[in-house]
Amino acid sequence: MKKSFCWSAGAALVAAAMLATAVPAVAKDTVKIAFIGPLTGGVSANGLGGRNSAELAVKLRNQDEKAKYTYELMALDDECKPNVGVQVATKAAADRKVIGGVTHYCSAVAIGAVDIYHKFGMPAIVWGAVLPDITYGNTHAEVHRVNGTMINQNETAAQFMADQGYKTWAVIHDTTDYGKGHNEYFSKFITGKGGKILGTFGVTADQQDFTAELTKIKELKPEVIFFGGLTPIGVRIRQQMDKLGIEAVFQGTSGIVSDAYLDGLGELAEGTLAFREGAPADKLPGGKFFLSEYEKAGYDQAPEAYGPFAFAAANLLMDAIEDVGADRKKVTAYLNKVENHDSITGPITFDDHGQNTVAVITKYVAEDGKWAVWEDSKYATGERKLAGR
Amino acid sequence: MTAKTLDLPKKSWLGLPALAIGLIFVALVTVYGWLFLHAESEMEVLALLVAAAIGVVAGTRSGATRNVSVAMNQHSGIMNAAIIGGVLVVIGLLSQEHFSLLMLTSVLLYLTAALGLNVQFGYTGMVNFAGAAFFGIGAYTAAVMTMHTGVPPLLILLCGGVAAALIGFVLVLPVVRTRGHYSAVVTIAFAVLFKTFLEVNDVLGGPQGLTVGSMSILGWDFNSSPTLFGVEMSFYVNYALLGTVLAAVAFMFTRRLERSWLGLTLDSVRLDETASACFGIGVTRAKILAFTFGNVLAGTAGALYGMMISFIAPTSFTFSDSLLLVAIVLLGGMGNPWGTAVAAAIVVVLPEKLQIIQEYRFLLFSVLVIVMLLFRPDGLLPRQIRTYIPGWRKQP
Amino acid sequence: MDIGLLGQYLANGIMLGTMYALVAVGFTLFFGVLDVIKFSHGDVLMLGAFTGFTVYLGMAGIGIENPWVLVVFVTLSAVIGTAFIGAVIARYLVLPLKSAPPLNILLITLMLGTAIREAVRLFFPDGSNPKPFPSLLPSSSVELGNFSLRADSAILVGVGLAVIVGLHLLINRTRLGLAIRAVAQDEETAKTMGINYTMIVLVTFAIGSGAAAFAGTMNGLYYNEINFGMGLLLGLIGFSAAIIGGLGNLYGAILGGFLFAGLQTVGAVALPFASAYKDVFAFAVVIALMAWKPTGLIAERTSDRV
Repeated sequence: MKKSFCWSAGAALVAAAMLATAVPAVAKDTVKIAFIGPLTGGVSANGLGGRNSAELAVKLRNQDEKAKYTYELMALDDECKPNVGVQVATKAAADRKVIGGVTHYCSAVAIGAVDIYHKFGMPAIVWGAVLPDITYGNTHAEVHRVNGTMINQNETAAQFMADQGYKTWAVIHDTTDYGKGHNEYFSKFITGKGGKILGTFGVTADQQDFTAELTKIKELKPEVIFFGGLTPIGVRIRQQMDKLGIEAVFQGTSGIVSDAYLDGLGELAEGTLAFREGAPADKLPGGKFFLSEYEKAGYDQAPEAYGPFAFAAANLLMDAIEDVGADRKKVTAYLNKVENHDSITGPITFDDHGQNTVAVITKYVAEDGKWAVWEDSKYATGERKLAGR
Repeated sequence: MTAKTLDLPKKSWLGLPALAIGLIFVALVTVYGWLFLHAESEMEVLALLVAAAIGVVAGTRSGATRNVSVAMNQHSGIMNAAIIGGVLVVIGLLSQEHFSLLMLTSVLLYLTAALGLNVQFGYTGMVNFAGAAFFGIGAYTAAVMTMHTGVPPLLILLCGGVAAALIGFVLVLPVVRTRGHYSAVVTIAFAVLFKTFLEVNDVLGGPQGLTVGSMSILGWDFNSSPTLFGVEMSFYVNYALLGTVLAAVAFMFTRRLERSWLGLTLDSVRLDETASACFGIGVTRAKILAFTFGNVLAGTAGALYGMMISFIAPTSFTFSDSLLLVAIVLLGGMGNPWGTAVAAAIVVVLPEKLQIIQEYRFLLFSVLVIVMLLFRPDGLLPRQIRTYIPGWRKQP
Repeated sequence: MDIGLLGQYLANGIMLGTMYALVAVGFTLFFGVLDVIKFSHGDVLMLGAFTGFTVYLGMAGIGIENPWVLVVFVTLSAVIGTAFIGAVIARYLVLPLKSAPPLNILLITLMLGTAIREAVRLFFPDGSNPKPFPSLLPSSSVELGNFSLRADSAILVGVGLAVIVGLHLLINRTRLGLAIRAVAQDEETAKTMGINYTMIVLVTFAIGSGAAAFAGTMNGLYYNEINFGMGLLLGLIGFSAAIIGGLGNLYGAILGGFLFAGLQTVGAVALPFASAYKDVFAFAVVIALMAWKPTGLIAERTSDRV
């Protein structure tokens, strides 16, 4: 995974060229599918993990001799910016050779791009963006999503925390749609369950220093700090909590379920809670297969939290193409009827908005440098205790 | 009607008159632009980049470039018409290519905004690091007005410009009072403030952004595909054509401004504020004028951009996007609108063409710009000394 | 609000201010000598932090465990390495563009910043994720009610302030400083007086970049986390701080740094409606300040440019 220094962009160029021109052994028709995600900039770790996973899915499929087509992945960078997202979505959708897409990690980008897919009739499967509106804000038949929304995630999170007996929270969220959305839904569910929010703090996604906010929180003395945001600032906030001697439980969202969070904090990560849609990859037979194949492929970056979803989405798309042929309309129709489709993240069933309804939410706790599933952890057995319990 | 003064070369290239060479040049650039927008594979892109480099060197060596400049100088009317014609031909050739047209229109709109900045710091010397913010104000104005009012969209374009100018007035006091780096920091602060404010404040959609309605003129919806001779074209043709008009008008305004007494005033303010004030030039007025003019252009372009993209969010108008606009002006050569045009094409299209190397594209892009600057420290087409009468300083 | 919390805010603010001031000092130096804005400064800072991190990994790899030895070596190698890189940047990217409009240096350093950032992201192993910077300083803390001061924070602030004072002495009390000031004031005259102009420019860039690397390492030691994008905002704030203070003046940079830190802290604490507005607040105050004092709080006077 973390292999070696990659010394030159030139080498990458050559590699990309080779990849693109690789000739299949058997003469099959070539079908293009698109991958869109942030490959550069602040959240690129997730984008690259997703890209690698989708690429892996394509590679494995091309090795399968029974496959009717040879697949080619067109990976595009949306920079996590809506205008660039619309641009690359147009690029993919306007290219008739591209049959479908595995698209978007950033919600604001996805929201902007879904109209493009609809306009051009290209089936798209969202692999990482969690904003409910992406599927529920429209009636586009082309748009699907394999991962759950932040509504499911926070409902479970609130229920779980209330069951643990926590009463007071302070909320820190980043001011992107991701953090704001999480703040909104978590606050709604937790107050509904009798929890009390003592203070809410919005922070920008590139902020380094949180001591001012945390000192304020120290004054409020909450039992739990809820954090809605992604790994980089999650690491910083947890780190600085320790600096200021804040003992509260740190509760995160799907955005911090990553190896980088654990690596970035070391021992401090212990006891952090987080929630993510989907069954944990290493619990399902397919998931184990994915992780071992990913390891074998020797990518420089980890798959991150949403890699398995990108893998599942790419596979679902290719299954559809295998079944009904390389035709956008037929693939869209196929996808809309997907029910209990086997995947490495659990069975996929799309509702009438194209949203995967079998959204299992897994509860995680950081234990001994790993994200352990709550039920299997020493915390659940009572061997270890969360802060304040 | 151009600011370039060049002594005619002793011998014309291939013995052709300058105008003919100029027209050949425009034709070549047209074909090149079409090929480049069309290029998909890495080999094509690479070949075209090499071709461009060779072309520039060959053109300079053989003296053809000077002939082109002369043509621009002496036959500006015909040349300008030829260039607009060239753009139209490219649009025609690409009429079914949605994506290429989207890129072309983006270039034209970024060009329009960058021309505004050009007036601000190419002519007047006021650095503006909030270009994307004013661009964004235009786009947000378009979003609000198309969705909540019945104002005809063409008018909304103007409103976008006016809104940018009005909000710009908030900055007028600090910008006019400060100079150089000090005024840079005012605009930097504004650029950061603008994006953060939109993000934390939910009135304008917050971080999730807003949907923008489409452009329409006299009932013709720009999001429907025009049909010509039974061939259905991309709906982006509409935007590309309007973008061309907008860029052409902006270009014309900029050039007229440069040639006018006002332009001279702006230049003198840039070169020496104190001396200009001594000669009775209203430094404050000149600065306000240039600042507002630039913001209007940026806002207008932003409004059309928003309508074309049809969805906007604060992350599209960050400080780094402002820097992109600044990069266009500087790379092109400060104060030369033609340079701005070339640089706009490079800065907008090149990163997109580099999509083929995925995560490495920004690394390569920034290295390419560094190399260009090392070879041409003054920008690609530095501004020449102004002449008022074409071919006045003659010559054999 | 009790006194302990007040002290905590103050301590946070001082820490933040020291870091901002160190970055701002770099901007002021470059501006003084060459009249240029070097936009890659923040990314050079990040590079310094990563250099330190790499040295740490190397030293930990060969089994050196004494934290004090590690801290000294990590900091020194980061500062020296980055100072060298700073000089190289000046020699090959900044000086060649000296005759071009000064803004073009801004563009080239801007692109250089992007290149550095992207290169670290792509070529440092797993560089797109945050890295855990080791905490090498003692972490015992003093608790006074709500106020908790950790030894490492105190040491960092102390050393940071010492570096700023040291830079001040270097500029104002040494022959090198004299030469730097001479070049800043009048390049031509300085040359005629036998000052090696190119050398002085390179040295100035080395000093400025070294200071940035120090700030980067300090940042790493304090937050125990570094990432490829850390220089972006720090560079922006450092630049703003240098300008609010008044360019070409070390005191200005320090004042600006602390002022900015103060604004952010006050913004986060005192704004009742939402702390998310604190950056809006800080930058709005910057705009207002510039309208009030167009050449910075400590107005630039040609006679005492650095």
